[in-house]
Amino acid sequence: MASNNDGSQGEKIGWICDYVPEELIMAAGMEPVRLEGQMENVKEADSYLFSNVCPYVKHILEAGLNRETEDLAGIIFTNSCDGMRRLHDLWNHYVGSPFMHMLEIPKHRDEKGLHYFREQLEHLKRELERFTGKEISSQGLKGAVSLLNDRRGRLMDLFERQKQEEPPYRGSELLDLCLEETTRPKEETARIIQEMGGRPSNALSTNPRPRPVRILVTGNVLDKPNLFRIIESAGAEVVAFDTCLGLRHYTDPVETEADPISSLARRYLLRPPCNRMPGLNEKIERMRQLSRDYTVDGVIQSRVKFCDYALLESPVLENFAKNRDLPFLSLENDYLWADEARMKTRVEAFLEMIRESD
Amino acid sequence: MKADFENILKLLDNKIARRPSAYDLFSKEMISTFLRAFDEEAKVVWVSYYAFPMELLWAFDVVPFDFEIACNTLPTASGGNGSSIMMSAEKEGYSRDICSFYRLVLGAHIEGILPRGDLFLTSSYYCNGKAKTNEIIARSHGKESILLDVPNEISASSIRYVVTQLREIAARLENLTGETLDLDKFRQIIRHSNKARSSYQKVNALMKEKPCPWDGSRAGPLGISGSLFWGSPIREEINQMLIREMEGRISGGKTYPETYRILWFPWVPVQPTNIFKTLRESHANVVMAESARVWWDELDEGDPFEALALKALQNYLVGTAENRVRDIVGLAEDYEVNGAIHFSTPACIHENGSLSLVSDALKEKGIPLLDLEGDMTDERNYSPEQTMHKVTTFLEVLS
Repeated sequence: MASNNDGSQGEKIGWICDYVPEELIMAAGMEPVRLEGQMENVKEADSYLFSNVCPYVKHILEAGLNRETEDLAGIIFTNSCDGMRRLHDLWNHYVGSPFMHMLEIPKHRDEKGLHYFREQLEHLKRELERFTGKEISSQGLKGAVSLLNDRRGRLMDLFERQKQEEPPYRGSELLDLCLEETTRPKEETARIIQEMGGRPSNALSTNPRPRPVRILVTGNVLDKPNLFRIIESAGAEVVAFDTCLGLRHYTDPVETEADPISSLARRYLLRPPCNRMPGLNEKIERMRQLSRDYTVDGVIQSRVKFCDYALLESPVLENFAKNRDLPFLSLENDYLWADEARMKTRVEAFLEMIRESD
Repeated sequence: MKADFENILKLLDNKIARRPSAYDLFSKEMISTFLRAFDEEAKVVWVSYYAFPMELLWAFDVVPFDFEIACNTLPTASGGNGSSIMMSAEKEGYSRDICSFYRLVLGAHIEGILPRGDLFLTSSYYCNGKAKTNEIIARSHGKESILLDVPNEISASSIRYVVTQLREIAARLENLTGETLDLDKFRQIIRHSNKARSSYQKVNALMKEKPCPWDGSRAGPLGISGSLFWGSPIREEINQMLIREMEGRISGGKTYPETYRILWFPWVPVQPTNIFKTLRESHANVVMAESARVWWDELDEGDPFEALALKALQNYLVGTAENRVRDIVGLAEDYEVNGAIHFSTPACIHENGSLSLVSDALKEKGIPLLDLEGDMTDERNYSPEQTMHKVTTFLEVLS
């Protein structure tokens, strides 16, 4: 629980898409918590949504319908995609929360988009103030910005160390850390981040051992460790992951000199784009740059099923990788990674192909 | 593609020469527009007619080409073989989980049968897939895809955001055509649009007559594809012709027999189906389609950009499902329908994602809803037998 100025414990506010600035929630004296979907097979949500709807959306709705989210005081939805818009509608009607807000995220990453996003964040701020009955002060917001900037910096340092020839962390460790960092109170994960930061560079080294295949994982929602475990058990290392909860989530600090809301708008909107944003060339360039920076041997794209954006972008990215002789594997999952055995076969074949080409 | 359109145009010309009809006039004008996009001299703007305020394009000497509607006219023309083109996209890695509309477009693009685009315009509504497909194709031509991003909420802030984008798009059109936007002409276009909006309301009012004097399954496509002509005088001509036809049927007692009145939702299958024949044989008339509704306010010619921004923001598939449900219930009551039929096309999450809300609201009013799972254009996902069975069972429920 987050501590309020008066010492009381803050309530939890759930967020789904990482375009929601956690700083605003924290400055409102509340605890930001990333929503995870229900971890079992969907039953109830199937009555409300067609079979071909994003399973992440479905599993979140399932959690709501099963009253697993009642510890939340509210949820901030985003206009991220068709599925998220409908999740908001269905939640509003069939589940309900004391606080519900739909945050618009413009697709234009320029001055007009920034202006509109800034106004949207001002609106969210007012709504949070109305809900809590407390004003969000500029000082409180700057404090939250500073805390999360520090957090981002420390996590990016961990990712940075992964560029070394001998990466100090397992990808699965880093993923676990990111998952905990977004679902547990910030103070609880500070110690783990610090401990990991102090780990020697050759921590994973088991001398003598051949250089492991280095993999970059890209994609959208990935909040289960299955893929990383498959890769690691096959003798490879995930040296970096650029997903909704990976590098993309932690890169770029919020500027501290300017007006905090404007700075939040700039940081959240201008950082590297996810699938829902336009900008194919920029995404291709980012994949190329990360592959080079982390000296990877191959890229695995993880995408949750029925994500239109990822489905359409995937062949373009694959084609680019093919033309650059960069091994690329696109894997779709049902959010629970129920078909792990099939994934394992595909990943192993992919890694084998990389090893043979060396 | 060009040859297909030329053939369709010949058929329509012959049909109109024998017996003119408003719907054939609309089809002819739309196909002619598609054909003009193949002219070497034309300035071709790719756009989605149904999800863009077309009045802005009529202010310039450009040919608007709707890549979705044009491609999906092909299966209709060829008796339903959209999948043969889609397979070209599927072979390139585009999954069958992608909406068939976009697989068809990407397949046509890969086969090189589409006209070139000088400007690629798209919009964020209705769905995820459209803008992304537009971007992929524009990129492959080395061009930029220009997005009209329309938020899900209406406020002074969102209107400003959309107005800014429309002004930027106008500047792009000026650049493309070498013309400067003529405000007087723009206002005249707004007047054309408002006039046609008014006559379209009359068309919709006539549909309330019992028996219904027109085929509502055609009102849907006219509502969607006919968006091309908002701002063009052709739209008024089509509407007036339609009004005369409907009034003639009412006064001449030549309407279809009507036992049941059916409300349709936005999507009407493009591929040939037995649905409407079965309904007609059971005297079940589709009397209104959601996409045929006039959902926008009269446009303010004093501020055309703001008027068009508002029109985009007011679109019936933009905003919360709550608004949509309210409007659908209103339609069901106004048109005194006995039942509603929803045609689901896979991957259309933005639309079918709110079906449970729609269904519950109609149920409260005692109006049964049939959901027909099929596919707008991929015949591999459509079973005539299953559909027939569902439709006949539904008609039994109505009786």
